[in-house]
Amino acid sequence: MATRKAAQKSLSLAPVLDLNEANTLHGKLMALRGSNLVIDASAVERVGALCVQVLLAGAKSWEEDKHSFAFSKVSDAFTKTTQLIGVNIDHLMAKEI
Amino acid sequence: MDMNEIKEIFFQECEEQLAELESGLLRLNDGDRDPETVNAVFRAVHSIKGGAGAFALDDLVSFAHVFETTLDCVRSNKLEPTQDVLKVMLKSADVLADLTNVARDGGSVDQARSAQLIRELEALAKGEAPPAAEAPAPKAAAPKAASAPKPAPVAAAAAPNDEGFVPVAFSFDDFGGEEEAMIEHPAYEVVFKPKSELYTKGNEATLLLRDLSRLGEMSIHCNMDSLPPLDQMDPEAAYFSWKVSIRTDKGEDAIRSVFEFAEWDCELDVIAADAGEGADGETEELPMQPVPFDLSALDEEPHAPLGVVEEEEQIAAAQEAVTAAQTASNVVQMAANTSRAAAAEKGAAAAAAAQNNAQQASAAGQTIRVDLDRVDRLINLVGELVINQAMLSQSVIENDSNGVSSINMGLEELQQLTREIQDSVMAIRAQPVKPVFQRMARTVREIADITGKSVRLVTEGENTEVDKTVIDKLAEPLTHMIRNAVDHGLEMPEKRLAAGKSAEGTVKLTAKHRSGRIVIELSDDGAGINREKVRQKAIDNDLIAADANLSDEEIDNLIFHAGFSTADKVSDLSGRGVGMDVVKRSIQALGGRINISSKPGQGSVFTMSLPLTLAVLDGMVVTVAGQTLVVPLTAIVETLQPDAAAIHSFGATQRLISIRNSFCPLVDVGRILNFRATQANPVEGVALLVESEGGGQRALMVDAIQGQRQVVIKSLEANYTHVPGIAAATILGDGRVALILDVDAVVAASRGQPLNLETSLAAAG
Repeated sequence: MATRKAAQKSLSLAPVLDLNEANTLHGKLMALRGSNLVIDASAVERVGALCVQVLLAGAKSWEEDKHSFAFSKVSDAFTKTTQLIGVNIDHLMAKEI
Repeated sequence: MDMNEIKEIFFQECEEQLAELESGLLRLNDGDRDPETVNAVFRAVHSIKGGAGAFALDDLVSFAHVFETTLDCVRSNKLEPTQDVLKVMLKSADVLADLTNVARDGGSVDQARSAQLIRELEALAKGEAPPAAEAPAPKAAAPKAASAPKPAPVAAAAAPNDEGFVPVAFSFDDFGGEEEAMIEHPAYEVVFKPKSELYTKGNEATLLLRDLSRLGEMSIHCNMDSLPPLDQMDPEAAYFSWKVSIRTDKGEDAIRSVFEFAEWDCELDVIAADAGEGADGETEELPMQPVPFDLSALDEEPHAPLGVVEEEEQIAAAQEAVTAAQTASNVVQMAANTSRAAAAEKGAAAAAAAQNNAQQASAAGQTIRVDLDRVDRLINLVGELVINQAMLSQSVIENDSNGVSSINMGLEELQQLTREIQDSVMAIRAQPVKPVFQRMARTVREIADITGKSVRLVTEGENTEVDKTVIDKLAEPLTHMIRNAVDHGLEMPEKRLAAGKSAEGTVKLTAKHRSGRIVIELSDDGAGINREKVRQKAIDNDLIAADANLSDEEIDNLIFHAGFSTADKVSDLSGRGVGMDVVKRSIQALGGRINISSKPGQGSVFTMSLPLTLAVLDGMVVTVAGQTLVVPLTAIVETLQPDAAAIHSFGATQRLISIRNSFCPLVDVGRILNFRATQANPVEGVALLVESEGGGQRALMVDAIQGQRQVVIKSLEANYTHVPGIAAATILGDGRVALILDVDAVVAASRGQPLNLETSLAAAG
């Protein structure tokens, strides 16, 4: 089935995803385009709205590229903040890993 | 800090608490039924008790305990604060003050009195009528459960526990019937659209939303429609916006205050939604999040470089904790709640009351305690600065022939600045007369008790400010006068009723500012001065000749004479014949004046006018026989250049000046002070018309007027010795010392009385 074996890349998010990290994260994501991506958010202790924006923009772009964009692991803090600010990431959770 | 210092702070706080206690009780006496007033009173006694316990001041503790127990009955609506109950309470406040004083300064209290009051307080606490009076039986309010849908907090008094302590009414709103309460909280729609600046300035939308979530139950919808694809986005720009539905009892202000520090960097709309309306369609997919619990993990997150919001949030959390602790420990500290808490409480009546009080608390402003010595040192230094500045500008003027240099401009600015600094520093010492007035309330109560008269003290303008020195020295003369007003001025109730007045006499004490002075008026609605009696007494005491022709005003003023008393018998309170004489001298010593006006059958009014400060004085600088003198401006009515035709000789040495068809004695200041041996020619000088004691006018002869200026008073007594006829000294711009004239002493000397020590104006050093 998997004739097109796209390269799968992974990205581990920094513990603090604040204003300063938004640019870095954006840069990292831009560099990872064109392949399926698995994001490890288990180390995240704090996440700001800007980084959530970057991640969601990434998800949008990946979707346009027809590549998969999924979170493998998420920390409690990450889940709670996204919940708090009304951003639903359930559909981005990797189901079959 | 050693124990004594801590103790001293305790006593200072006691003073404040006692003042709070008394003013609270007086407000209750005037019919104020605000539960917060009762709480304030209770709190005051409770704090004193607590502090006294720490220092093992057992007498104070045991009395405060009984007092507190009775107050608690009032607080829990078991005891109605009737006039009779409050009478006992006011007396108890007096005893509490006495006990505090004794604990601090030593001495003894009237044991019988405090024992009697303890009995009365205990009787009240047990629901019995006060032993002394036929008060209506205190009504025992049945404890009501706080189960009403919207419990009115006052009515929601809970059952007291075995110690008679009752949980505070307001606190229960926060607990019982939580679910019901949740449903009733008003709903708000909040639209929050951050701008990019919000993030670049270090604010964080997530934290703001978290704060918001703490206010109540909320559901949130994040609008991410404007989010571009990754390659087109600016990672630091704001794309998300939020629509939040929140139910909170804290009100719109609390919602807005969450965004307080970000309001310029976001678009914010807060709309009150219909309380009955459910969550709106857009947010349906999102579960309602019981956020406060859910977010516990976030609270522990590391606090790296964060904006103001985080701190703000910590403060809020601390406040919440404090509030909760207070509620739990049943210590009502509503005043400690900040305006933030006040803003949060809206809707229910309790909240409104709390808000008022919190506002009052915040209106009181922040204060620090400063040692008076330090303030005085500062005032002294500023005084020196003023003098130095004057000297500097004078020497510049002298050395600068054309007088328009930039230095002059700079000096003028400096002068303004120093004047402003001086005013501000003086304002530090300025204090409201309230504490003194409050002490008078006690005096009135005690005297009314002893004389068996019924008296109401009405005070006005208690917040009028005046220098602390003046306040400190005001208490004694005022006490004398109040005693006189109640003892001599007011009639016995029967007599008042017979005269068609109410049985209760009124003594009114007012303070106001008038043309740079403080005017204190004490009036009573008593019988007024019995002029016949005064006149007869004066004749008996050889103060006036039997056939002397005196105006009403002159007769009234006789009461200020030393050794004069009209009381038929000498009582404990007044009538020792020193009262009004001492009063007048104390007022004069403060640089003030006192007047009396009396209407038979309608009462008397004593008017005192005092300087606002004893540190500076507006004076007229004059030359007398080559000396420079300063005449206090307040004493001067007018100045005039005498015309030869207006000068008339009178007797051997006296001269009169005719001013607008009346004659006024001419007083040669240089001659009185022995500056010169012979009398000066009035036509060559200037006459200063001054108001002297007793209302008469005198024309003071001086050689020339140099000008008017504000001078810093330097005590002559403290630095040299007392000089008769001279009130104090000052240093002029040229560095020379100028003497400040004691106008009343000079006028008295012109009447033939030798210049003596007693009539001098004591100046603040």
